[in-house]
Amino acid sequence: MRNIIDTLFFTEILQGLGITFKHLFKKPVTLKYPFEKPIIFDRFRGIHYIKTDEKGNPKCVGCYLCQKVCPAECISIETDAGPNGERLIRKFEIALDRCIYCGFCEEACPKDAIHMGRRFDTVDSNRSKYQVNMGYLVKNYKKGE
Amino acid sequence: MVNVKIDGVDVQVEPNSTILEAAEKAGVHIPILCHDKVLKPFGACRVCLVEVKNNPKLMTACTTPVMDNMEITTKNDKLAKIRKTLIELLLINHPLDCPVCDKGGECTLQDLTYEFGVSQVRFDPKPNDTPVDHTNPFIERDIDRCVLCGRCVRICDEVVNIQAISFQNRGTDTIIGTSFNQPWNCEFCGQCMSVCPVGSLNNRVYLFKNRPWNLQKTESICGLCSCGCSILIDSEDNEVFRIKEDYDLGVNKGLLCVKGRFGFELINNVKREKNSKIKVGEEFKNISIEDAISTASKKLAEIKSKYGSDSIGVVVSSRLTNEEAFLARKLAKDVIGTPYIFSSETDDAMPEGTYADIENADDITVLNIDVTESNPVLGFFIRMTARKNEGGLRVFYPKMTALKRVASEFYTGKPSELLGLINDFADAVEGKSNRCSEAASKLLAANSPVLVFNPYSKADLAVVSRIKKAQPKVKLIPCKLKNNSQGIVDMGCATGADLVDGLGRDKIKALVVLGENIAVNPGYVNLVGVLSKLEFILSTDPYFTETSAISDLYIPVATFAEKSGTFTNFEGRVQTVNPAIDKGLISDFDLLVSLINSLGGKAPDSVDAAQELIRKEISNYSGVDFNGGVVEYPYAVKDVNARYEIVGSGSYELYRCSLRFHSGTFTTWSPDLTKVYKEATIEINPEDAADLNLKDGDLVTVKAGETMKKFYVEIEKYNPRGVVSIPMNYKGTEAILAKGEYQRVELIKHA
Ligand code: SF4
Ligand code: SF4
Ligand code: SF4
Ligand code: SF4
Ligand code: SF4
Ligand code: FES
Repeated sequence: MRNIIDTLFFTEILQGLGITFKHLFKKPVTLKYPFEKPIIFDRFRGIHYIKTDEKGNPKCVGCYLCQKVCPAECISIETDAGPNGERLIRKFEIALDRCIYCGFCEEACPKDAIHMGRRFDTVDSNRSKYQVNMGYLVKNYKKGE
Repeated sequence: MVNVKIDGVDVQVEPNSTILEAAEKAGVHIPILCHDKVLKPFGACRVCLVEVKNNPKLMTACTTPVMDNMEITTKNDKLAKIRKTLIELLLINHPLDCPVCDKGGECTLQDLTYEFGVSQVRFDPKPNDTPVDHTNPFIERDIDRCVLCGRCVRICDEVVNIQAISFQNRGTDTIIGTSFNQPWNCEFCGQCMSVCPVGSLNNRVYLFKNRPWNLQKTESICGLCSCGCSILIDSEDNEVFRIKEDYDLGVNKGLLCVKGRFGFELINNVKREKNSKIKVGEEFKNISIEDAISTASKKLAEIKSKYGSDSIGVVVSSRLTNEEAFLARKLAKDVIGTPYIFSSETDDAMPEGTYADIENADDITVLNIDVTESNPVLGFFIRMTARKNEGGLRVFYPKMTALKRVASEFYTGKPSELLGLINDFADAVEGKSNRCSEAASKLLAANSPVLVFNPYSKADLAVVSRIKKAQPKVKLIPCKLKNNSQGIVDMGCATGADLVDGLGRDKIKALVVLGENIAVNPGYVNLVGVLSKLEFILSTDPYFTETSAISDLYIPVATFAEKSGTFTNFEGRVQTVNPAIDKGLISDFDLLVSLINSLGGKAPDSVDAAQELIRKEISNYSGVDFNGGVVEYPYAVKDVNARYEIVGSGSYELYRCSLRFHSGTFTTWSPDLTKVYKEATIEINPEDAADLNLKDGDLVTVKAGETMKKFYVEIEKYNPRGVVSIPMNYKGTEAILAKGEYQRVELIKHA
C-alpha cells in the first residue's frame, strides 16, 4: 500500500529536491579556477625547482642520483669536464609530462638542490613545453614556486 | 698443504698462502682496502684484521701466512667495531665528495662505509682541501681523497717499474706525489689509476662524463696492438665512455697501456664519416650504402670481365677480424680468382712463446725493438719477470728504453756499432768466441729462455733464426704490430704477393683496400702515383683517410668496438671481440658478404657460420677454442738470409724507433692521444741538439739522399750521440723510412 503511494506521488523525489533546496542556501565549494586558486598544502608535490647557492649558481652538481632513482625515467642529465677540469652540467632536463610527482628525486638529492614545488598547472598546448631545463627549474626557485 | 679453519669452514691451502687467500678458498669474505692481488702484500690499512685463536693480537689477513691448524675468526663484534673505527678515522679527512667524484658508485671506501654501517662519524671532520692536480694529461690527481693505501705507488714500482709517484713527507702530512712536485715523468699507462680504491686518481678522458651505474659493460679485446688485452668497454647510448681493465679476464692480468686505456675517443670521434662517398670528377659525393655496394660489385664485375680476374687486387689490413680476413681471401681467391691479395704482414715469423713463457723465463733477450712502446703489455710482463728474477734480461737497442731499470745487460750504441754487436752475439751463440761469449753462454745455459724481436725486419729475423738453431730451447716472441697481425696471416692474407710488384707490372686495374691506409705505409709510399692511374679503388675504413682520398669509392665501416669476430694475438691466441655499440655502420664483414654474393659466390651469412668455415678450411684453427685457445704453428721462424745495412751518407745515423703513444695512424683519431703526440718527431741527443742549436719543438729537416722531410725536434737524452730516430708506422716518416731501416742522414736546421 505504502509502495503504491510512493510511486504515485513521487515522495522520494520531493525528499531529494528538499536536499537540493537546502544546498541552494549554503556556501559554494567549487573553485572558479583559474580566477580562484586552490589552497596548496605544504606537503604537496608539484613542479620541481632547483635551489641556488649564495652566488646564485644552481646547487645541483650533476651527480645523476635523481636520474637513477626516478621511477618514471624522466630526468636526463649530461655532464662533462670543463677546460680547467671542473665539473660541468651540459644538460639537465625533466619531462614534466612523464613525471609522476613521486618526489623520489628530492629525497635522493645529496646537495639539497632539487625540490618539489607547489605548482601543478602543467597544462600546455605543446608537448615540447613539458621538457624543462635547469634554467626553468632555477627560475621556479627564484619565483618562489 | 696445511689445514686451516676459517669461521668454522675447513680448508686446505698451500703452505705459504695468506689468510686472505685461504679465506677466498673457503668462500669467506674478508674486507680489504689496500691489498691488490697483482702486488706484494703491504698491510697499510688494517681493514682486513682477523682474530687467530690463541693469539692475543689481531692479524692482517692480507699479509699473514697461514700455519697448520690455524683457527681464524673473521667476523665478531670486536672486529666489527675496529673496522668501523678505522673507516671513521679515514673519513675525518676524506672530503665527502661522492656526488662529484667519478669513483662514486664503484668506490671501495664507499662500499666499506656501507658494509660496516658507518652513518655518522664520531670525530670532528677536517676535510682536506688542496687544489686538484691536472699536470698529467690523462690522470686527474685529487690527493684530498687519498687513503694512502699505496697501491698506485706499488704498481708503478712493481709492475711498471717507472716509480713516477711515491709517498712524500711523513706521518699525517704524507701525500702521494711526484719527485720535487715535478710534472709526472711517466708512461701514462694508467695502472696507478686502475688500482686506486678511491677517487684520488681519475681518468681525465672520462672525467665527469657519466656515472658507473649508467654504463653497460661489454667484454672484448683491445683493437690496437697484438698484445690482445681483454678490456671492458663501458658504453651508454652507442657511445663509448671508457675502456677499463678486468683483473680476472684474459691474458693481460688487468694491465692496459696508454693507447688501449685512453685512446677510445677515436671510436666516438665526430669526424667519423657516416656516408659512403663516390668520386665524381674531382669531388666526392655522398651515396647510400646500398648504392655504394652495388656500384662496387658492378665495377668489379666489369673490370674482371674486361681485363681478366688477375686485374683486381685486394689489400687487407691487420685490423680486420679473422672472419673478415677469411672472407677477404675468399673474395679474392675463390670469387674473383685473383692471386693478388696483399697485406703488410709477414709469415716469416709465427707465434711460439706465450705470456706464461715469459713469466717462467729464466733468460729474456729483447732484440732490437722497444717492446715497451710497440707492445706495452708484453713489455710489462718482461719487466715483471726481470724484476722477479733480478736479472736475466738482455736488451739490444740503440737507446736505453724503459727496460733499463730491470735489464741486467743493456747494449746501446750507434746502429753502426750495435748491429755489429748483435751479429757477434749471434756468432757467439753459434759457438764462436768473441766479446759476446759471456752473454751467449748465459742464453745457452738457460732452461727456459725467451727471445723477443721485431718480425718485420729481415735482418733481425736472420739473427733470430740463427739463434733459434743454436739454442732450440729459446721460445720466440715476434712483436707483431696490430691487433690481428697474426690472424690475417693465418687466414691466408700474407701470400707474399707484393703490392709494389703487382702494380708495377701494370696488370692490376682495380684495388679493394680493406681498412689499410696504404698511402702512409712506408712500404707503399712510392705507389701513390701508380695508384692514381688505376681504374677503380674501393676503400673501406672507419675514417676518411689519405687512402680514401685517392679512392673512387669510400665506404665507412665499423671499428673493433662495433663488431663481432675474433682476433689472434702475438701468442697465436684466438680471442672473441664483442660489439659494444652500434654507430649505424656496416662492418667489413657485411660488405664482404654482399660483394661475394653479388659477384656470384656464396658467403656465410653470419660470423658464426664464417667461424665454422674457418674451422673446416684452416687446419690449425680446427680444434681451437675461439675464446682464448692457442693455435699451433708448424714453424716459429723461417730461414731468412739478410744482413744489416746502413744506407745513404751523412753525419748522423738514423734508425726507426717504436712509435710512442700510438698504434699506427689509426689512433691519431683519438684527440687525447694526439694531445701528447701528434706529428712524428725526431729524437735527438741533447749534445747534438746543442751543436745544431736546436730546442725541443724546433723544426729540423732530415735529408736522406734526395728526400727531405721536416720534423719537430724532441730531445732524448738516451739517444747516443750522433744518432737520431723517427718512428716507424706513422704518417710523416714513410718517405724517409722507405729507404731503409738504418740510414746516414744530414740534419738541416731551419731559420
Ligand atoms: S618526482 Fe618522481 S617521477 Fe618526477 S622526476 Fe622526481 S623522481 Fe622522477
Ligand atoms: S640528485 Fe641533486 S645534485 Fe644530483 S643531479 Fe639530481 S638535482 Fe643535481
Ligand atoms: S700512469 Fe703508469 S707510469 Fe704513470 S704513474 Fe701511473 S702507473 Fe706509473
Ligand atoms: S692515490 Fe689512490 S691508490 Fe694511491 S695511495 Fe691514494 S688511495 Fe691509494
Ligand atoms: S694497445 Fe696493446 S698493450 Fe695497449 S691495451 Fe691495447 S692490446 Fe693492450
Ligand atoms: S687489506 Fe690488509 S691491511 Fe689493507
